[in-house]
Amino acid sequence: MKTVWARVFCRLLVALMIWTPYQIATAGMIGTDQAVTASAQSDRAAVLGFANRGDVARQLQTLGIDPKTAQDRIAALSDQEVQSLAGKIQSVPAGADSGDVAIAILVIAGIAVLVWYLWKRM
Amino acid sequence: MIRGLRALRQNARAIAGVFFLFACAALLSGCVSFTPQTKNLAQFRPAGIPGMRELTEVPFFPQSDYQCGPAALATVMVAAGVRITPDELVPEVYLPERKGSLQVEMLAAARRHGLVSYQLAPSYGDLVREIAAGTPVILLQNLGFKEGWHYAVAIGYDWDNGMLQLRSGRNERQELPFAMNEMAWRRSGYWAMVAVPPERIPASADEGRWLAAVAALERTGQSAPARTAYRAFLERWPANVNAAIGLANTHHALGELPEAERVLREAANREPDSVVVLNNLAQTLLDQGRAAEALPFIERAAAAGGPYASTVQETRQSILQKISQQKN
Repeated sequence: MKTVWARVFCRLLVALMIWTPYQIATAGMIGTDQAVTASAQSDRAAVLGFANRGDVARQLQTLGIDPKTAQDRIAALSDQEVQSLAGKIQSVPAGADSGDVAIAILVIAGIAVLVWYLWKRM
Repeated sequence: MIRGLRALRQNARAIAGVFFLFACAALLSGCVSFTPQTKNLAQFRPAGIPGMRELTEVPFFPQSDYQCGPAALATVMVAAGVRITPDELVPEVYLPERKGSLQVEMLAAARRHGLVSYQLAPSYGDLVREIAAGTPVILLQNLGFKEGWHYAVAIGYDWDNGMLQLRSGRNERQELPFAMNEMAWRRSGYWAMVAVPPERIPASADEGRWLAAVAALERTGQSAPARTAYRAFLERWPANVNAAIGLANTHHALGELPEAERVLREAANREPDSVVVLNNLAQTLLDQGRAAEALPFIERAAAAGGPYASTVQETRQSILQKISQQKN
C-alpha cells in the first residue's frame, strides 16, 4: 500500500517537474520571442509549441537522457527549434562520426574514379 | 613491368566494378554539380576580406568515440572566451541512443553558457567572412552514409588556392580543398553555426535572424548577456523596435525598472501603435506603483486589439484593480 502511494506521488512530482520550467514569462510582460515571431505565429502556434516541449522532453528521455537533464536541455531551445524536433528526433541528423573516417571515404571514392578512368584508357 | 600493369588492370576491373555506378553518376551529372558553390567562388568572393587567414589560436580538442559534437562545441566556445571542456558539454548535447548530437542542441548548449548562437546562411562566402573576422565556424558534414554525420570546425581558408583548414575529429589541422569540403558539407544543406560573446555581432549576421538569435538567448533566462547583445544590436540597427522591446524585457527581468521604462518610452515615441510596447510600458509603470500613469497606455493598447489582446486585457485588469485599491 505504501509503495503504491509512493509511486503515485513520484509520478505527480515528475509531471510537475516537466511542467514548471516552461512558465517563465514575467506576469503581464509580452516576451521578446513572442514579439519577434508574432507575424508568423498565432496564439495557437504558441500553444502548440508549449505542448511540444513536454513531448520533446519525453522523446529525449527515451533516447537515454534523465528527466531533469532533458528538461534543462529543452528549456534552452527556442519555440521554432522545439517545433523542428517534434516527432522527428529519430530522423534528424546526429553528428557523431570521426572526421578521419569520413575523409577516408571521400579518398576511396576519388580513387575509385581514378581506377575507373585508368581502366577505360587501357 | 607489363605483368604489373596486367595485375593492376585485373584488380582495377574488380574494384571499378564495385564503384562503377558511383563513377557513372559522378561523370554523367558532371562533377561540377556536386560542388555548385565552389564553381562560383571566384564570382562571389566577398569584398574586403584578406586572401587567406588561419585562426591558429583556436584550441584543439581531439574527439573520443561519437563525441564530435561536444568537441566541436568546446572548440568554438573556448575561442569565444568560455572556460569549458568537451566532457562538460557531453550531458548538454550528446544523445546516447542516437550516438550523436543534434543541430538545435548544439545551438542551445552555447546559449546556456551566455553566448549567442547563430546559424549562418548556407553560403561559402559567409563561412569565409566569419573566419576572416576571427570567428571559427562549426560545419555539419556527411560523407555518403545515412548516419555519417560529423561536426568539424573551420578555422582558416586560403582563397587563392581554394583550401579550407579545419579542426576535425582527431585531426588537429585538416586541410581540404573547397570542393572536397563542399561535397561533404552540402549534404547537410550547408549547415553552419557560430557562437559569439554577446557584445559581438557576426560578420555575416542578418538583422532579422540575428535578433531571433538574441531573443533565443534571452528566452533561456540569460538576461544579463542578452541585455548586452540587445545593446550591441541597437547600436548597429537603432530603428529596430523589437530589439528595444527585448532590451526593456531584459532590464525588467533584472529588476531595472526605470531603465526598462526609459527604453520603452523612447520606443513608444517612435512607434506609437505598437501594442507590445504599450502593454509592456504600462506593466513596467504598474510594477513601479504608478497605475494611474499606466492606464492611458494600456487603453491605447486595448483599443488596437490584435494577437496580444488577452495579455493586454490581463494587464488592464490588474491596473484597474490597483487603481481601485489606491482609492479605497
